[in-house]
Amino acid sequence: MAAARVPLSLYVHWPYCSFLCKFCAFSKARVPSQGVDHERITNALIKELRTSLAPHKDKELRSIYFGGGTPSLALPRNIGRIIDEANKLVPLTADAEVTLESNPTLAEVAKMRDFKQAGVNRYSIGIQTLDDESLRKMGRLHTGAEGLAAVDRAKTLFPGRVTFDMIFGFESQTLRQWRTELETALDHADRHISIYQLTVEPGTPLFRDQRAQRVVLPSDDVQAQMYEMTVAMCRARGFRHYEVSSYASHPSAESMHNTGYWRGQQWVGIGPSAHSRFTDPASGQRISSVRIPDTRRWVQQCESVGHGTGKELAVGDAEAKQEAVVFGLRMQDGISDQCFMGISGGQPLASYLCMDRVQYYIDEGHLLWHAPTACLAPTERGLQVIDTILLEIIP
Amino acid sequence: MLQTRLACAAWRWHTSAQWTRHCPAMALSSSSRRSYVIRPAEGKRGEVDISMIPPERIRNFSIIAHIDHGKSTLADRLLELTGVISKTGKNKQVLDKLKVERERGITVKAQSVSMFYEYKGQQYLMNLIDTPGHVDFSYEVSRSLAACQGTILLVDAAQGIQAQTVANFYLAFGEGLSVIPMLNKVDLPTAEPERAAKQIESAFEIEADRILKISAKTGLGIEQVLPAVIEQTPPPPGSAEKPFKALLFDTWYDTYVGVVCLMAVKDGSICRGDRIVSSHSGTKYEVMEVGVMHPEQTPTTLLRVGQVGYIVCNMKSIAEAHVGDTFYRDRFPVEALPGFVPAKSMVFAGVFPIDAGEFDRLNESIQKLTLNDSSVSVHKETSAALGQGWRLGFLGTLHMDVFRQRLEEEYDTNILITSPTVPYQIKYRDGTSKFIRTPADFPDANTMNDYVESTMEPFVISTLIFPEKYLGSMLELCTTHRGELQNHTFIDESRVMLKCRLPMAEIVTDFFDKLKSKSQGFASFDYEEAGYDASDLVKMEVLLNGEAVDALAAVMHKSSVIVAGREIASRLKDVIRRQLFDIIIQTTANGKIVARETVKQLRKNVTAKCYGGDITRKMKLLNKQKEGKKRMKRIGKVDLPHEAFLTIVKRSE
Repeated sequence: MAAARVPLSLYVHWPYCSFLCKFCAFSKARVPSQGVDHERITNALIKELRTSLAPHKDKELRSIYFGGGTPSLALPRNIGRIIDEANKLVPLTADAEVTLESNPTLAEVAKMRDFKQAGVNRYSIGIQTLDDESLRKMGRLHTGAEGLAAVDRAKTLFPGRVTFDMIFGFESQTLRQWRTELETALDHADRHISIYQLTVEPGTPLFRDQRAQRVVLPSDDVQAQMYEMTVAMCRARGFRHYEVSSYASHPSAESMHNTGYWRGQQWVGIGPSAHSRFTDPASGQRISSVRIPDTRRWVQQCESVGHGTGKELAVGDAEAKQEAVVFGLRMQDGISDQCFMGISGGQPLASYLCMDRVQYYIDEGHLLWHAPTACLAPTERGLQVIDTILLEIIP
Repeated sequence: MLQTRLACAAWRWHTSAQWTRHCPAMALSSSSRRSYVIRPAEGKRGEVDISMIPPERIRNFSIIAHIDHGKSTLADRLLELTGVISKTGKNKQVLDKLKVERERGITVKAQSVSMFYEYKGQQYLMNLIDTPGHVDFSYEVSRSLAACQGTILLVDAAQGIQAQTVANFYLAFGEGLSVIPMLNKVDLPTAEPERAAKQIESAFEIEADRILKISAKTGLGIEQVLPAVIEQTPPPPGSAEKPFKALLFDTWYDTYVGVVCLMAVKDGSICRGDRIVSSHSGTKYEVMEVGVMHPEQTPTTLLRVGQVGYIVCNMKSIAEAHVGDTFYRDRFPVEALPGFVPAKSMVFAGVFPIDAGEFDRLNESIQKLTLNDSSVSVHKETSAALGQGWRLGFLGTLHMDVFRQRLEEEYDTNILITSPTVPYQIKYRDGTSKFIRTPADFPDANTMNDYVESTMEPFVISTLIFPEKYLGSMLELCTTHRGELQNHTFIDESRVMLKCRLPMAEIVTDFFDKLKSKSQGFASFDYEEAGYDASDLVKMEVLLNGEAVDALAAVMHKSSVIVAGREIASRLKDVIRRQLFDIIIQTTANGKIVARETVKQLRKNVTAKCYGGDITRKMKLLNKQKEGKKRMKRIGKVDLPHEAFLTIVKRSE
């Protein structure tokens, strides 16, 4: 009997955008004026892919995720080349999830069918908001109506496999406005939706605007109300709040790729600024690495040495255990003892966590211990303040 | 016949020749080290025979001055002039090293030193006795002055006299010393020697024509200084025939020999092998070594009447050496010199480790620091909120600040200091009384009603000197601090000297900072203790979700309760972070709620986005927050940040 293959995910970072959003803290750049050299970037990605995936040939690829930047600006045939090459190096499982992020602009919508042809089987659209004024202010080049149209179009090509992003907490947004917007969004939703609170990340134009008081965002309490309303409205529509910002109306729709991050599974990231976390098959050492963030330098290094790795660090046991709990408790399913012991080398959760604080939060209704499955999970109330709780239960 | 030569062989010159003073009695002085480049004038020193110098040719004097008025520079010039140190041009004192010293405007204690000086064909022994410059140490100053017969009153010709000058002048005057006035920095373009002289004349009733005008920096007029001291200072009184009697006026700890005592011999003589007794404790000591500071410890065979020198006598702990104590020869008791008072703590504060696991390390740090500072009183204290700690007593707020800063900086200790409190006194109806070191000692409401006759608080008389235009704001400052104006006089056309009686409690927090800010730095301030008065005192408590936090309690005057209560509650509201439940902050006095604030429950705290690339950042943030949390104290369910305890310290406006 063949031993079960260890699951692995692949993240592919496409570094260009046609417009830059004010809130975005990801590594990206506007499409250069002379245009993107598609062949050169794709060749570099494939080179890095070969170098990085080769050692993992005995694992299996559960998911591929094209993020960015705006990967829908890439040529579908190049996306196809990357998928095919990855599959050659590490076999894709039969039910592997291959997601591509896209903007709802007309040009990108037109390429949807070609992406499907290339092997993409899950489509994620960055709608962000349906309010045209907010879209304009955030620097996005599409309207709310175009966003919904893109979702509707995607649903015909990827039935049951479409997701989109929404953001609440924009400047001057009211609870009532958000309710109306979310109603409309849910009317159009397929089986998955990601809904984020607007986060002001250091280094973004939004951060500078807020610091200079050019932008006033809704108060913490209003944002908390928006969050609570979101959870309630999604539940009423049959969406399970399976992670802080993720909702699914069918178990098969929960993102396999993202769930991998939260369960501490291994992934390899390629492209500028991409992170990786995996166990080196040769040494058995847990590794975390990050590629060079600057696209030009990343391409040059890929061309000269076959990969664009900027920094590589060993991940110690203490760190891995901390991460397992921090990310496991972002999910409604929480973290199982079995999963934790896989990371901790056999140490159960109860001997790792500060159990008096865990018990306190169980008593307060913030955490749950599910004995039959030996799982620690947050309640809906607990999830909402999980960052506070984590500080106390992690030793 | 005893040979009292300064034996050359006994010079303990180190090649680096750093004149490093070990720590004397005051905490702050132990940080002061003067580094002179020492080059003994070869073949000269050994010729000096201090037995050849009769008491008539000894002068014991000190220099009193406000900070920056040039005391150390003048000392440097005198040491160069007499050949104790060489003229390298590098003899610049880097005093006031601690930040707190600079901020508070204090002078660090320097070094007492013996010099030889030829005047009118005669060899004189000139002992310059240093004094600490700050009011917290006024007792130590008075003991140092008690070892002298004269003092140079040094005043900056540009700045004129300052509050500290006044305080020190009266101390010297009270000791019956000859005061030799001098104006320093007369060559500065901004100098106004006539004006400063007038101030001296009007404040101290010293004739202006007696005042020497010098510049210690350039050496202008320096040659007149020692002749003036010789002419105007009487030689030390005392008798060589009477039994040995000496005043202990300074001590420090030396790792190798233990405690070193600086003494002024008032009668008789002392040499190695003699047995001496402390009048205060009755403890006997065998003298191991005697000598003079020249400028380092330089052994001699004998110390005679009128001389000032050091004695090493097997004293193990600095706590045994009481400044102001009288020593006599075993079996020849003498009447103790007047004025001895054991160190008296005027400010108390609780000190706790932030992390209970640090208790032992902090304990060690406190012990090390008090090794050189017996004036810090140490009592173990247990707080329900803060756990095990200490209640430390200090001579004053400066003393406390210096101690805290050294504890934090030199020992890298994370500590929490509770709001300082003065020693209040409770008088019971049965005639007994007790001192309150901590708010926890304050009687509860029932005891107050049934047993307490009155509550008393300590007062000070303060002296403020400032330009006339700040008179309004200075008067206001004093009255808002429950001050009772005594008088104000013009010491010249534009400078005012204001005397005001203030409760000690009012000056232990931020009085000095306010004084400086309201006068744009131009006001100087000094104070002396002025006894106790009946005062309507109450204990203010802080409740968090109904639970009293002992470490946040404070004793205060009844009139301060409303303002302080509201302010403390609102400041706590600002520093306490939102938690997963509402936090009710209440301040109460006499069982009545004075103020109430609520820190609303934290409704949401979760990172919205967390994917592959965010993991590293998220974990970094988490670990940083965990570090921050370690610095919090949990009271019941409530996490109190460090600043919560400082909130109480910085009260008023």
